Amino acid sequence: MNGMELFGTWVAALLTLCLMSFLYKDNPLFRFAEALFAGVSLGYYIGITMDQTLRPNLFEPLRDSGITLETGHLLFAGLVGLNLYTRYIPKIAWFARSSLAIYVGYYVGINMVQKLQGEVLPQAAATMVDLTGGGSPTAALNALVVFIGVLTVLMYFFFSVEHKGLFGKASRVGIWFLMLGFGAAFGYTVMGRISLLIGRINFLVIQWVGGTLQALGIGG
Amino acid sequence: MFLKVRLPIMLTFFAGLIPIVAFFFVDGTPVVKKLSNSLEQDMVIVSGFALLLGVVNVVQGNVRKIEPREKGWFYAIVLLAGMAFMGLFGAAGAMRLFGLPGIGMMPDGRPTPFQWGSLYMFTPLQATMFALLAFYIASAAFRAFRIRNLEATILLVAAVFVMLGRIPIGEPLFGPITEWMMQVPNGAAQRGIIIGAALGAASLSLRVILGIERSYLGLDKNE
Amino acid sequence: MSNLAKLTSIDRRWIFLLIGLGTLIPVLLPIGFPVRVTAPVKQIFDKIETFGPNDVIVLSYDYGPTTGAENDPMTDAILRHCFSHDIKVIALALYPLGGLTSLTASIDRIAAEYPNLQYGVDYVNLGYKDGGQATMKLLAEDFSGAFPNDTHGTPLSELPLMQRVKGARNAQLAISVATGIFGEWWANLINAQYGLPVAVGCTAVSAPKYYAYLEAGQMIGLIGGLKGASEYEQLVKDNYPATREAYANPMLQTASKGMDVQTIDHLIIIAFIVIGNIAYFADRRAKRA
Repeated sequence: MNGMELFGTWVAALLTLCLMSFLYKDNPLFRFAEALFAGVSLGYYIGITMDQTLRPNLFEPLRDSGITLETGHLLFAGLVGLNLYTRYIPKIAWFARSSLAIYVGYYVGINMVQKLQGEVLPQAAATMVDLTGGGSPTAALNALVVFIGVLTVLMYFFFSVEHKGLFGKASRVGIWFLMLGFGAAFGYTVMGRISLLIGRINFLVIQWVGGTLQALGIGG
Repeated sequence: MFLKVRLPIMLTFFAGLIPIVAFFFVDGTPVVKKLSNSLEQDMVIVSGFALLLGVVNVVQGNVRKIEPREKGWFYAIVLLAGMAFMGLFGAAGAMRLFGLPGIGMMPDGRPTPFQWGSLYMFTPLQATMFALLAFYIASAAFRAFRIRNLEATILLVAAVFVMLGRIPIGEPLFGPITEWMMQVPNGAAQRGIIIGAALGAASLSLRVILGIERSYLGLDKNE
Repeated sequence: MSNLAKLTSIDRRWIFLLIGLGTLIPVLLPIGFPVRVTAPVKQIFDKIETFGPNDVIVLSYDYGPTTGAENDPMTDAILRHCFSHDIKVIALALYPLGGLTSLTASIDRIAAEYPNLQYGVDYVNLGYKDGGQATMKLLAEDFSGAFPNDTHGTPLSELPLMQRVKGARNAQLAISVATGIFGEWWANLINAQYGLPVAVGCTAVSAPKYYAYLEAGQMIGLIGGLKGASEYEQLVKDNYPATREAYANPMLQTASKGMDVQTIDHLIIIAFIVIGNIAYFADRRAKRA
């Protein structure tokens, strides 16, 4: 670890400790790191968007090829993008609506196809299978559980009918399936959050303390 | 009226229609393919601009705090300073100013200021903020996870099975049942949620494309 | 209030301290619990094993430092597997909040372990791109539509690997290592519309949802959270002994080591839940009495 890396590691470690200090109680060091977290994240957006998207996909093609039949639409895209910012100029704020309309329109269009063709159809197809399991009792049981689970969960989410009588009972079964799913999600969430903590403890122990000791020539 | 209301609604309709038409006709019709590809390339750029809209909102909000010395004004300065550091060096790198080759490493292997900020400020702050949740989830489990009724019991049992089934010492006993639980009953519940949410999202998309839903433009139904 | 019930109102900082110690101690004194491999993880490994030196996988870094502790071991293990097995890798990032940082750090770190690899021939780092689904649709058909250059600014036409593979649909497999929704898009957009086999390495938080895609055949396998990552590490270590040296490095953060901590912390949390419930029932009984 060279001097620059060691300095950086110390900055990172101190910022980590500032945020962790919130576990004891709210304090100015946490507030400082929290504000820096928001600011640095926004600045990061600026850097990557300009360097990784706007430069190679907009500025460079227009600079290198000029405005041609091939690149003309990029100029249009740039103008549509810039026009989004007119919303901050009260007198012409409505200009931004047209850009927003194109942007939202495209993504809801793609989303509609994606949801129907990529989710509803394959998920429904995977539910509507041979419930005899092709002769395998385990496969039959699993297929039946999935079929009942999907159907009852969908019934639970169907609010146009009052949940009482047979429908109410079925939707209650749907709740049991959902609870099992949420319970599993909780178990996994515990694992996920602990993993992130392991990452930070590893950083503090291995990179910060270990790296500093190594730089000072103490230990391996 | 046309420019303020009708035009945006028409643009949404056409922009929304292109990916749908392209889905059905893209391989056999070069015109649709070309139009669709161009729009996709344009959306990459517009998305870039849209992503940065949030930056303007935050800057406005925080600048307003600083001038009248509102509560938390110092932290607003910290936020803006952090943003300025990363944003300005990021923009300078993107424009290759001050001898910066970009936003990654310099040719001699040293990090650019943006890269330094990414490695030693952005990364630890991002990672730690979410790591803190480990402590709170433990505390929440202790205080709120109670066997109050059948539903809560199912929730708790599923959570405990997963927590045991996914660690080495619990895996021999709980692993197979956890895997079955994840694949079959959990898979069914998730599938129900996915189908329900997808149908909802698709119908909302249709309402937007057809101009019935207009709130995203700041318009109400009668405008 | 019974003594047990009083226990549930202890200062939460005691709980924090226990979790902190439960994490710190196994990090300092690793136990080395064995790792068992589950089918969803093995399916990805086995699929890659069927590939030859001319085959290409697309590895999408759809996560940032926020979940790096979970996702980094996945991408590291996948890269070690591909590079050890001579599979070509096209890496890219679609997650705005740190995808590029994670991608560059990971691919540079792992490629350095394989000195014979040639950038542009054996692997490529395309960098990050905004646009979400628009970018994914473009790169599925033609990488250059979304990524005119790689992350170093080199046009794709000058990279031999990119001349061989026009779009992601021409690759043999796409693996999205993801936080949030990006992994789903690989399944419900790219797999659904282009038929490209897709595998996902996801954070534990989102793993339950991905099981629905896995069971519907929209994905060929799933690496769920740190547990899944430790399984993939185990498969790589078992099948490629040369990688054991890298994994033996005490300075390396690995998922397998993390599972020691998970074991201790999960047991602490389960103990909390049990104590909390005993106290709840004791209190309820006392009130009834």
